[in-house]
Amino acid sequence: MAFYIKTSGLVFRIEPNYGKIEGYCAGYICPPAETAIDVSVTPEEIEAEREGAISAAAAEGRSTQFSPAQLEILTVHRKISEQMPDHGIFLFHGSAVAVDGQAYVFTARSGTGKSTHTALWRRKFGERAVMINDDKPFIKIEDGRPYVCGSPWNGKHRLGSDIIVPLKSVCLICRGDTNTISKISSSEAFPVLYEQTYRPSDPDKLAKTLSLLHTMSAQAGLYRLHCNMDPQAADVSYEAMKEGK
Amino acid sequence: MKLKKEFVTHQNDNEHVTVATGNAGFTGMLLSNETAGFIIEHLKTETTEEKIVDDMFAEYEAPREVIAEDVHKIIEKLRSVGAIEE
Repeated sequence: MAFYIKTSGLVFRIEPNYGKIEGYCAGYICPPAETAIDVSVTPEEIEAEREGAISAAAAEGRSTQFSPAQLEILTVHRKISEQMPDHGIFLFHGSAVAVDGQAYVFTARSGTGKSTHTALWRRKFGERAVMINDDKPFIKIEDGRPYVCGSPWNGKHRLGSDIIVPLKSVCLICRGDTNTISKISSSEAFPVLYEQTYRPSDPDKLAKTLSLLHTMSAQAGLYRLHCNMDPQAADVSYEAMKEGK
Repeated sequence: MKLKKEFVTHQNDNEHVTVATGNAGFTGMLLSNETAGFIIEHLKTETTEEKIVDDMFAEYEAPREVIAEDVHKIIEKLRSVGAIEE
């Protein structure tokens, strides 16, 4: 039975093979809309997802056992992410949190401590901090400005909200003994940001992704943070990043 | 020879960027200056090394053998990441 979800301001009509995905998308289910973009996946596409899923899970130290129903959740995400650049949106790997209506995105390779750092922000700010997406937010460029969007695909802790928030700053995280942050240029950040960006298989959509990523890096404040897991790390990053561009 | 269609370019503020689609096997990013970018852009249509050298010689004030060496180096770099369709 098909169902509809809304993310990043777009409606998708999902035609699933298994029941699991509808529950996974809870919180993003919306009424049918005529403008909906159709997403359906074949058993072959689901199986083709297995190899990538296993290597991603292994990198994060998670279980590498996947049922077809779990793989379908990943396959639908991939199909949606493939289409997003045509709508001025791309998928970015990072933990995104909103404070006082501004979005802050922390990015790094898996296992570096993105989610750990945004957990420190939640501890610091309490209810002032709202998780947008703990793992894979969509970034939407509208009228030349970047916004961070929640989606059902929000990481293993399932932290996120169905909101769209203007992007203030993006921070590349490295582990360090002490907490230090510095501003970096767009050209220094660009290759690292690209590493954490979803690469469509269609050349035209990849070209659009590069252009959207360029706009994001030109508009947002860009930082590199060396941090440990002490609460003080959140003080250091927030004080610098709230200045933004 | 030609740049494979899976390879995509973008002009950032001062840098020419070349990347490849998710299924092309190259996950990196080539950052080029103006002249290397010129060479890569010329490879978007079927051409030869000789023809690119001719075009660059017409555009830039440099000895032909210096240009030829640069063009060769860039093409070899592109070849090494699987970006060239012979």
